[in-house]
Amino acid sequence: MARMKFLCDADRCIECNACVTACKNEHEVPWGINRRRVVTINDGKPGERSVTMACMHCTDAPCAAVCPVNCFYTTADGVVLHSKDLCIGCGYCFYACPFGAPQYPKVGNFGSRGKMDKCTYCAGGPEADGSQEEYEKYGANRLAEGKLPLCAEMCSTKSLLAGDGEIIAKIYRERVMTRGYGSGAWGWKTAYRETIES
Amino acid sequence: MLIRRTQQQSGSDRRGSIADSLASQTSGLDRRTFLRRSGLAGGALAALGAMPISGVRKAEAAAAGPLTAGATVKKSICTHCAVGCTVTAEVLNGVWIGQEPSWESPINRGSHCAKGASVRELVHSERRLRYPMKLVNGQWARVSWETAINEIGDKMAEIREKSGPDSVYWLGSAKMTNEGAYLFRKLGAFWGTNNTDHQARICHSTTVTGVANTWGYGAMTNSYNDIRNAKTQVVLGGNPAEAHPVSLQHLLEGKELQHANFVVIDPRMTRTAAHATEYVRMRPGTDIPVLYGMMWHILKNGWEDKEFIQQRVYGFDDLRKEVEKWTPEEVERVSGVPGEQLKRVAKMFATEKPATLIWAMGQTQKTVGTANVRASCIALLMTGNVGKAGTGANIFRGHDNVQGATDVGLDIVTLPFYYGLAEGAWKHWSRVWEVDYEFLKSRFDSKQIMETPGIPLTRWFEAVTLPKDQVAQKDNVRAVFVQGHASNSITRIPESLKGLKALELLVIADPHPTTWASLAIEAGRKDGIYILPVATQFECKGSRVASNRSLQWGEQIVKPIFESKDDLEVIYLMAKRLGFADQMFKNIKLENNLPDAEDVLREMNRGSWSTGYCGQSPERLKAHMKNQAKFDMLTMRAPKDDPEVGGDYYGLPWPCWGSPEVRHPGTPLLYNTNLHVMDGGGTFRPRFGVEREEKLPDGTTRKVSLLADKSYSKDSEIQDGYPEFTLASLKKLGWDTDLTEAEMATIQKVNPANPDAVSWALDLSGGIQRVALKHGCVPYGNGKARMNAFGLPDPIPVHREPIYTPRVDLVEKYPTLPDAKQFRMPNIGFSVQKAAVEKGIAKQFPLILSSGRLVEYEGGGEETRTNPWLAELQQDMFIEINPADASDRGVKDGGWVWVTGAENNSRARMKALVTERIGKGVAWMPFHFGGWLGGKDLRGAYPKGTDPIVLGESANTITTYGYDPATGMQEPKVTLCQIAAA
Amino acid sequence: MASFGRVFRLAFGACALLLVIMAAPASAQQVNPTASSVKEQQLLQELDRIQGRVSIPDQRSGVLEQPQGREWREFRNVTLRWIGGVAIIGMLAVLVIFYLTRGMVRLDSGRSGRTIVRFTLVERFVHWMTAICFIILAISGLNITFGRPLLLPLVGLEAFSEWSQWAKYAHNYLSFPFTVGVVLIFLMWIAGNIPNKVDVEWIKRGGGIVGHDHPPAQRFNAGQKMIYWIVVIGGGLVAATGYELMFPFYVTGIEGMQIAQIVHSVVAVLFVAAMIAHVYIGTIGMEGAFEAMGSGDVDLNWAREHHSLWLDEQRARTGPNDKEPQPATAAAE
Repeated sequence: MARMKFLCDADRCIECNACVTACKNEHEVPWGINRRRVVTINDGKPGERSVTMACMHCTDAPCAAVCPVNCFYTTADGVVLHSKDLCIGCGYCFYACPFGAPQYPKVGNFGSRGKMDKCTYCAGGPEADGSQEEYEKYGANRLAEGKLPLCAEMCSTKSLLAGDGEIIAKIYRERVMTRGYGSGAWGWKTAYRETIES
Repeated sequence: MLIRRTQQQSGSDRRGSIADSLASQTSGLDRRTFLRRSGLAGGALAALGAMPISGVRKAEAAAAGPLTAGATVKKSICTHCAVGCTVTAEVLNGVWIGQEPSWESPINRGSHCAKGASVRELVHSERRLRYPMKLVNGQWARVSWETAINEIGDKMAEIREKSGPDSVYWLGSAKMTNEGAYLFRKLGAFWGTNNTDHQARICHSTTVTGVANTWGYGAMTNSYNDIRNAKTQVVLGGNPAEAHPVSLQHLLEGKELQHANFVVIDPRMTRTAAHATEYVRMRPGTDIPVLYGMMWHILKNGWEDKEFIQQRVYGFDDLRKEVEKWTPEEVERVSGVPGEQLKRVAKMFATEKPATLIWAMGQTQKTVGTANVRASCIALLMTGNVGKAGTGANIFRGHDNVQGATDVGLDIVTLPFYYGLAEGAWKHWSRVWEVDYEFLKSRFDSKQIMETPGIPLTRWFEAVTLPKDQVAQKDNVRAVFVQGHASNSITRIPESLKGLKALELLVIADPHPTTWASLAIEAGRKDGIYILPVATQFECKGSRVASNRSLQWGEQIVKPIFESKDDLEVIYLMAKRLGFADQMFKNIKLENNLPDAEDVLREMNRGSWSTGYCGQSPERLKAHMKNQAKFDMLTMRAPKDDPEVGGDYYGLPWPCWGSPEVRHPGTPLLYNTNLHVMDGGGTFRPRFGVEREEKLPDGTTRKVSLLADKSYSKDSEIQDGYPEFTLASLKKLGWDTDLTEAEMATIQKVNPANPDAVSWALDLSGGIQRVALKHGCVPYGNGKARMNAFGLPDPIPVHREPIYTPRVDLVEKYPTLPDAKQFRMPNIGFSVQKAAVEKGIAKQFPLILSSGRLVEYEGGGEETRTNPWLAELQQDMFIEINPADASDRGVKDGGWVWVTGAENNSRARMKALVTERIGKGVAWMPFHFGGWLGGKDLRGAYPKGTDPIVLGESANTITTYGYDPATGMQEPKVTLCQIAAA
Repeated sequence: MASFGRVFRLAFGACALLLVIMAAPASAQQVNPTASSVKEQQLLQELDRIQGRVSIPDQRSGVLEQPQGREWREFRNVTLRWIGGVAIIGMLAVLVIFYLTRGMVRLDSGRSGRTIVRFTLVERFVHWMTAICFIILAISGLNITFGRPLLLPLVGLEAFSEWSQWAKYAHNYLSFPFTVGVVLIFLMWIAGNIPNKVDVEWIKRGGGIVGHDHPPAQRFNAGQKMIYWIVVIGGGLVAATGYELMFPFYVTGIEGMQIAQIVHSVVAVLFVAAMIAHVYIGTIGMEGAFEAMGSGDVDLNWAREHHSLWLDEQRARTGPNDKEPQPATAAAE
């Protein structure tokens, strides 16, 4: 079974934010919730690189480990999903997440957190694939339709890769071999405890 | 590139055991309880309630089963730049429910940028105009379409009666389809004015003029895809990473695969520069010194392409004299670029070939815009980097159909397809339109004004406010009809307010009210404004031309929503009310007042011989969209054996010679002599005569040929330069016998008095083109490109300091051109520059101010700032300032500042972005914001519920005087300003 | 769509972060941006955190990567459970042993039948408001740490989530009265809780409950003062850190919240352990003690034995206006 991963080739990322709006579009994500974002490091200086980041769907995901109510689960594809029915909005996953992935809609009068929302790798949630309930809570389920996350599919420069970890690692490795440089598979060591040697 | 999952697993497989237990438990939960408790679902439901058009229906649709089941797929073209990305829409029950990657498009290959990935929202936006409105006593009132059109028509008739047709300014749009833009120009012609313009004026008018004056056509010579072949890519005056993000896919992959040099020369360390192999920082407004600086090294080291220059270039010696003035020391003194770095870049450009030069508005939006792009072309000519794969002037244009709208002549200087305004041009089009030339003439004030270029949109307000005797037409402009153009994209907003106040009638036809409305109200208007809701391009069908000259047919994704109408219908309704619809739509089918886009394109095909828009029938274009997957990504060509699109280049990039039946494949690379003309080959166009008399220093004269010397396209039967084809030249060659009887009869009809004079561009039968192609010849001839473009204000480009320059020490040596009358009005740039130097403006306003694009927004930005998915990403107008300049002024990153400009005591309040992107002494603003003026929020001036989510100060509140003498281009890229913490 | 935040894109680029740049040539014009690009591993080694600029107002999203969540995870899932387990179970064990060996501390002199007011109605109200809040806060708090391994397997995911959701609401909302209670306790009883020489003697003599002694004490003996300061300081700490967590990013970023959570949870479990002892001594640990917070009136003998100096003080001030024996208290004996 494929182990789905994300890989951002920072030598291709141009901070065009297509991944961000593709995500908003596909899942009708409300204002203020940013399932994916692009961060520019060293802005305006030589060596500047932009990296798009969302939930990396970690191996041994810290969010799942610290969740007080055990609302996370990992699919056979390695996608880390959660149940909004179980989530109590405590914020612990946000403390544990190295990538700032969990997002909370403000629901209470004093900034208290609603149900956590995050990137689903376009794989929906526990509800029946493609059901209305699933769409309303988690957004579209592209994986069930045989498609990959829209952010990666629409990436302007094919910087953001999604798919079987081994295959996207191979693509990245080949790119680095061909062009002779690469700033690393951002987040891989933290998320998957591995890097792509190049 | 991406791996698609082909196998679909069952739910339980996919989730594994923990999830199984989860699922079984959750299924027991009462759904209502869940929804009540669930924060996000609650939020989503609330959002659905507020979004009646798509949201709820999407949810309802989804209730029926998997979201995309039963949906139909429609393809259109993204409206946000000229890369030409295909948008794939899923439509269910007439609602656009989702976007999918357009894998099959050879241009975007599935990709989008932030704007392209969010275009769906534009259509179902809550904040769009819903119905026509008019301003009554300072209040917006709803009116019917009929009332609006009738009242507008009556007012226009009144103005025409009193002041003549030139007093109505028709401002069209690069957002319209080819068909819309063409009809809009035709509307102007039938109304009787050349005051018809669109965005190309303010983005690439200088490119069109400068490049066409160099080698024939003013367009991108190659394509985005072809840049993959380049060994050296130089970007000078462009930031494609933010302005044309999908093009970066081709640029960066080309850079990687070819190990190419990727040089970015720019005052800003842009997102593009971040990926460069060499970044060169220059002072804004010194493009010509930088280019000449490169050429100086090229000539000094003998890196120029001598054979190419000898065979295909005119005026090299004249150029050499100018280049020799630009020693490395002088270049560094003027531009700040060190000689050694420039030498390195010059060497790459000249010796690591093929090399391409990429530019956008960084070169064009200057008083020396035309000269800038000319210098760029000259650099390419000098190094033989034109007319081959991986070379060329890759000019990135900014709107989905700005190239097309330019081609179809929505312009002040020409009729459609660059025929110009001379009598012959009017007669050509009267034949195509099957109307009497005398009728058209009668629509104008005079034959003289009929053949005189109109007023550039950059100066519409001056045409309203200048004393009558300074505007060379019957009367001032009294009405503006603007269909799809932002007002905040035009420089000198404080001046434009005076124009807005003085107008008698302002009509805004757009999906959004735009800053025209809010600024007019701020200017003090209480009435005389109409707003007509026009559909977005996704609700219209028709062809659009990408930057690479490919035509793409967009389908109608959904029907126009609310009361909005298709551009074509609005044009028809106006023509009908103004009384010439019968003549104007003679050969165009109508359905419920909506002109048939296919018929319009067919009419264009019948008249567009000069530019090779004659072969792109609607049927062929639709076949291309249907067969997108068959086109090769690199060559953009379909296999020869394909029954529908065999051998064609994607989108039949113009020129696509002959009638559609000739099946010319289109021309992916202009002027490429390595290919047969029927495979897209070509030569430089001899557009400026066949020879020129040159004065020699000893006082004698000599005649120099302007035709190519022993260079010709592959398998041409004429193996040398040749002039354009006419019936006479066919006869001379003995090729006239190849013409059919029908073709000959049509030629006779075109010019019964002198059929021999009928040229390839005027022959409505296409016979002359067909015969030329048959003999491997290019219909327009085979000439030399001009380094010396005699006829332009500066035939050899000359560096001239911007009107407002911080380097007053250089003004004496490099002054702007003298004051002159251009485009019916005085251009007093010289006086303004002189006064600025004398008044010491540069001391009061020491920072150079430049402007540019953000990836999230487009143009004036009202449409994109209305889209929450985009607006969330850029919520405030800002100015970039270098940390050193910021600390001098006590300005903090993210803090409020006042920016003051050199004219009109202009000031604007915005946030500071302190960054090293921008060099010391320079500041930079994005130009997409509007809805604030001088610190005042104009949100209340918008009709209720139509205000964009994000408002902010317009960059053009601060920008100043300055117009290119050849095109009337404004100068928003270089002016002066001061910044103070607010 | 809610209010649109208009905070500007400021995020500071990782200026100092990037020694890479310093290594690059000084002049920006001489640089090859492809060759000098920042590398992830290098950045992580330098600062264990990668930060950059984002255009959205949510500046915390400018933190691209901060792997230190791993240490917090270790604390939460392992360290805290040990600390909490040892503190609470340890305290219970100590009390059980103490009860079995020492038994209830009886009134040596028996009941006098006459009582004296020890706590007013207001004082008792404040105490019980705080106490009830504390108990609920403690249970709901312990649920977050221990519920998943202990309770969840018993009741199942859904019931546990439902319960935890209510527990979270209770925890968040009751924090306010609890905090008010702590503040009032602080103000109300500060006068009697300043440590002094009497306390030294009291402690030396083991408070009298380790043996069978009655060291003199003022209104609050050293043990009670200890409880007081545990409540005031511990309560203050859990309240402060709790609000930091309840209002994310108002005060601090992620690392701050991780630290806040560590402080909150460690103080909380110790607090719980201390309060268990307090409850013990106030109920089954000592005869006549509960009445102080129950009816508010204590038996004179109890007062004499445990708070002799206070009793003297009271009597000197107000005279012997002790209440008549209450039938209810008598019946309680």
